[in-house]
Amino acid sequence: MNEYIGIAVMFLLAGGLAGLMVWLGSVLGKKNPTPEKLGPFECGQEPFSLPMGRLAVKFYLTAILFILFDVELVFLYPWAVLYRRLGYVGLVEMGVFLAILMVGYVYARDNGALDWK
Amino acid sequence: MRGPSAADLSLLVPELILVVAVLVLMLLARRIRQGQVATVGTVIAALTAGIAASQALSWGTISGFSGMFVLDGYSQFFKLLIAATLLLATLLSVGRRSDDGVPRGDYHVLLLLAATGMMISVSAVDLIPLYLALELMTICSYILVGIRVERPASNEAAIKYFLLGSFASALLLFGISLTYGLTGTTAYEGIASALYSRGLVSQPFLLVAIGLVVGGLAFKIAAVPFHAWAPDAYQGATAPVAAFLAAGSKAAGLAALGRVLIVAFGTETALLSPIIVGLAGLSLLVGSVLALSQTDMKRLLAYSSIAHAGYALLGLVAGTPAGVSATMTYAFFYVFMTLGAFGVVIALGARGEQLDGFQGLAAQRPAVAAVMLVFLLSLTGFPPTAGFVAKFGVITSAVQAGHIVLAILAVGCSVITAFVYMRVAVLMYMSNTVAPAPARFPLAVTAALAVAALVTLVGGVLPAGLMSWAVSP
Repeated sequence: MNEYIGIAVMFLLAGGLAGLMVWLGSVLGKKNPTPEKLGPFECGQEPFSLPMGRLAVKFYLTAILFILFDVELVFLYPWAVLYRRLGYVGLVEMGVFLAILMVGYVYARDNGALDWK
Repeated sequence: MRGPSAADLSLLVPELILVVAVLVLMLLARRIRQGQVATVGTVIAALTAGIAASQALSWGTISGFSGMFVLDGYSQFFKLLIAATLLLATLLSVGRRSDDGVPRGDYHVLLLLAATGMMISVSAVDLIPLYLALELMTICSYILVGIRVERPASNEAAIKYFLLGSFASALLLFGISLTYGLTGTTAYEGIASALYSRGLVSQPFLLVAIGLVVGGLAFKIAAVPFHAWAPDAYQGATAPVAAFLAAGSKAAGLAALGRVLIVAFGTETALLSPIIVGLAGLSLLVGSVLALSQTDMKRLLAYSSIAHAGYALLGLVAGTPAGVSATMTYAFFYVFMTLGAFGVVIALGARGEQLDGFQGLAAQRPAVAAVMLVFLLSLTGFPPTAGFVAKFGVITSAVQAGHIVLAILAVGCSVITAFVYMRVAVLMYMSNTVAPAPARFPLAVTAALAVAALVTLVGGVLPAGLMSWAVSP
């Protein structure tokens, strides 16, 4: 069990530090509430709305693009770790992979997916 | 585990050609103003991919990608067919004023990607790559159906197709997971040997697994009871997209189904036979009868394509190599006669989309009416057109497998569909003109119609050359 004590201490420290900061903030901070500030935070979207209501699709577009290029990194890390062993073949394969992703990026930019309208 | 080698990549030449074309067109999509650039690029890609596929027709069987992908006569036959479908569908999309709102670059990218998915699916010998390839094909098809975003009918069709398609994909995936649970592998050969050596026939889950896999694939070929999407999707889509789906999706689905049934589940004929007989019989009956009451040409051809899925399945009932060859021949001729019939509908524009639009066409444009008559006779299965050869092959194979009732049903449904197709012919030749004569067709459309008519006629007179290519896996 001894090896888990470190983890328990880290949990306590992390929880304590986070709790301390929230508590200090609520005690020391100035309070100037507005309806927007008091509402739940949900990435700029209405937290409660009717199922048939309209919603802005631009958040999803940005999120999907973020996931696409974030997953790219998932492939880059193992490649970086094994860079020497993979040699030129790995370099070329990764180049092709990144080139295809860049085509996607150019296409998204051409179509205005990155303009926040 | 090693990565793909250069030898593996050499198996993928037709697919790689299409993918390179996709990447170039994506870069150019917003930089070109003329739609012709995209058309010419797609035509070149389709031609080179078709030539690359035909080069490998006689290479024998080569397997690659850790045994998940195979190049054999069967796969190359279908790849050639898919390249031809892509080529004709691209040519038929030229010069359509009603599709002005469609972004040409994106449209051709989606056609190319869907064709890539079809090509990979006919070469897949493992259920996971098969699923991925079919998803690539269907997801592109959903977007193609809904590509006219400003039209409610197009959106409605795309949503219906998407919902039913997702459901069918889930069925296929569930079937794949059950198959994996029973056999411990997703490779076709591995499934077959596990079924044979472990004697899993008595397992009730095997029937469920096979039923789900076959059901998921039956959706792609629009066989009853997985057909409900086809009429709505075809009607809401632009006519060239409907033609591409009717021909390409069906060819790829049949190819995948044929390989799964013959290679993976080939030992379980007793379980498979009732499923395929049911699908074929229902498709024949429902497709033929419902086609009778249609007045929209795209819906009429959709129901006709459902009936034709039934005919093509007749060859798979027997589970023999000869039966699969008959289905391959059927798929080949079906693609050309359907693209041809859709081609005339496309060429006539808004007039061609209604049954009434064909009234008196023969008096105004005798050549067009004659070409349409060839396609209609071929779809009916009238000698000496290719449709007769195709139908004769699959019905013979059903009789040889001992399914006399099914064969009689198939011949009976031929009579019903003859009424459907001949109604169009009667309108063309025996009624008075109601609409002004259609404008001259663009050269590309005329060329596509000529190719389709040529294959339909020559295939009916000299089918032997083609049939020698149609070898079962």
